[in-house]
Amino acid sequence: MTEFYREYLAVAVLIGAALALVGLMLGVGKLIRPVRPQADKYITYEAGSDPVGGWGQSNVRYYVYALLFVIFDVEAVFIFPWAVGLEPLGIFGLVEMVVFILILVLGLVYAWRKGVLRWA
Amino acid sequence: MNPVIDYHALAPEIVLSVTIILCLLVDLFIPDRPRLVPQLASLGVLAAIIPVLTLAVSGTDVSMFGGAFVVDNYALAFDGLFLVVAYITLLVSFDEIADGDYYGGEYYVLLLTSVLGMVMMASSRDLVSIFIALETISIPTFVLAGWRKHDTKSNEAAIKYFLIGVLSSAVMLYGMSLIFGFANGTKLSVISEYSAGSPPALFAVAIFLTIVGFAFKVSAVPFHFWAPDTYEGAPLPVTAFLSVASKAAGFVALLTIIRFGFFNSSDSWQPLIWVLAAASMTFGNLAALRQTNIVRMLAYSSIAQGGFILVPLAVAGDVSGPSAWEAVLVYLMIYAAMNLGAFAVVMAVSRRTHSTEISSFAGLGRVDSVNAVMLSLFMFSLAGIPPLAGWFAKFVIFRAVFDAGTTAAVVLGVIAALNAVVAFFYYSNVVRRMWFDEAPEVVSSPRPASVALTLAIGITVVVVVVVGVYPEVFARLGQLAFASG
Amino acid sequence: MMAAIQITDTYYLVLSAALFSIGAVGVLVRRNVLVMFMSVELMLNAVNLTFVAFAKTLNDTSGQVIVFFTLVVAAAEVAVGLAIIVAIFRRRRGMTADDMRVLQG
Repeated sequence: MTEFYREYLAVAVLIGAALALVGLMLGVGKLIRPVRPQADKYITYEAGSDPVGGWGQSNVRYYVYALLFVIFDVEAVFIFPWAVGLEPLGIFGLVEMVVFILILVLGLVYAWRKGVLRWA
Repeated sequence: MNPVIDYHALAPEIVLSVTIILCLLVDLFIPDRPRLVPQLASLGVLAAIIPVLTLAVSGTDVSMFGGAFVVDNYALAFDGLFLVVAYITLLVSFDEIADGDYYGGEYYVLLLTSVLGMVMMASSRDLVSIFIALETISIPTFVLAGWRKHDTKSNEAAIKYFLIGVLSSAVMLYGMSLIFGFANGTKLSVISEYSAGSPPALFAVAIFLTIVGFAFKVSAVPFHFWAPDTYEGAPLPVTAFLSVASKAAGFVALLTIIRFGFFNSSDSWQPLIWVLAAASMTFGNLAALRQTNIVRMLAYSSIAQGGFILVPLAVAGDVSGPSAWEAVLVYLMIYAAMNLGAFAVVMAVSRRTHSTEISSFAGLGRVDSVNAVMLSLFMFSLAGIPPLAGWFAKFVIFRAVFDAGTTAAVVLGVIAALNAVVAFFYYSNVVRRMWFDEAPEVVSSPRPASVALTLAIGITVVVVVVVGVYPEVFARLGQLAFASG
Repeated sequence: MMAAIQITDTYYLVLSAALFSIGAVGVLVRRNVLVMFMSVELMLNAVNLTFVAFAKTLNDTSGQVIVFFTLVVAAAEVAVGLAIIVAIFRRRRGMTADDMRVLQG
């Protein structure tokens, strides 16, 4: 067997071990636990409150936060390479990045003024 | 290792960016003066024209960012076109946006952002900067198309435009990634050098994918199906903007990428553009014949006009001089004037009739003879009848075809000529109904057209008439733009 | 004894071509607007993979820089696209592309 396949053998062993472990734990649990079926036990657990049934729908308000996160998260893509190359870029690079970040902040100011950040 | 930046050459972009930021801030912090943002936006666009003029006078070509961003006559000509179109779009927007109970300030911010992308596009000479400029143009227009967000039609317009827009970006970008792999670079000059050698057959696939992406953007048949729905659903000023400015930007991107990048592998792109041109003209015109709504008719007619603009590109590889490139620029300038004018009149009339059905234009000659005369002028110009500007647009196309002189070019020329005849029927149909049909019952609550809308109609009609009589004005501009190339 | 399989750049290109095709078929076949949109995102990721693979082959980092731009543009598209979709879902539930036929004709 070549080196390449030997490396993948480790992956296969790991998968096998994981499956065996899960099977073992569930199997042992099934052997030693008492079985007393009740209807209530089969209801989906929803943080202690009564389950609603069907598909739950998350509040559309979360979407705006997700959106803000996506935008600001992705802008980090530009900030990391800039941070690495900050020294050779010097003052020019600093000014450019400040302009870039200010424009981003403008987006946040917009969201704030439009009341998006208030949980009403 | 700081890049050398010529702030004079970047001035149009900088002025626009500052205007966008100011508009947003004014809208946020001075909300009780809604007229301030539109005024600021139009001032900003006019201010951005000044550096374009000073740069044109100074006459030196500037190349920045390793040749990815070039300011030369070619770029300045299109900068000027985009900024003037943006100004007229702003003029026709004031009434519509102020009347609806929709966010006003953001409309202008998004519109100007799109214009910023167009101005960047004219200077881009690199696949990446072309892509970024194209997305800067497109993404705000997705939102603008859905501006009336409580209207199902507008929603539908936005989602269709959006899905097609991102799909075309993906296809185009895949083509670009393959080109990057083949040519070992994204600068158009590098690609041009590479294609002058003997590129493998797969390179043609890359070119094919890239051009198909652009074909979506300029709504060339068979990639046009989104256009009529989006044009009808979007608010009218946005439709005017989409059918003129953003379409022109797509053509500029196509022109740039072919002229500076793919030119040497003309075997790969010429047949494709030929088919797109022939299909767009024929299908666009035949579909326009059947329309009963004037906005849908103008949508299909703009698909057909797009086909005409593709004609000189389809023969460009066989033309020795710059006449094919000049034809694209001249046609775009004239098309912008007459199409914007037609939309402006439709807006002015629909403020009274609350309808864009062609039947509601019946008898307009007696009710509102000024607008009827204006719309007749624009319709005849679109049909290409002398002495209105449209004839010169058709003339430069046919001149490019004859300069090429190949069999394929002549066949395409014949198709174009036949289509010009077909187009005459539906354009003249509108005119006939305005002057010879009885007017329907007058609907109540007419809203008078504002000074701005009248000014927009005035500017465009002057261009259409003056350029029709003295075509040398635009012809000279075309020569200047391509003098060095 | 089998010969070692060298993971050459061709593998990446074939993978990205496959991803791109899956995405393209998804856009054409699926009718749910959200799923169509996800398919487009798959196509964009295929593009990113191609750029990175070529950047490695050609030893040219500009391919990776382009991916930055593609990512950011894709994020902007997601933001706008989801906003449009949310605006529509607020009016109508369970929207598919076939329901959008008010304007067909």
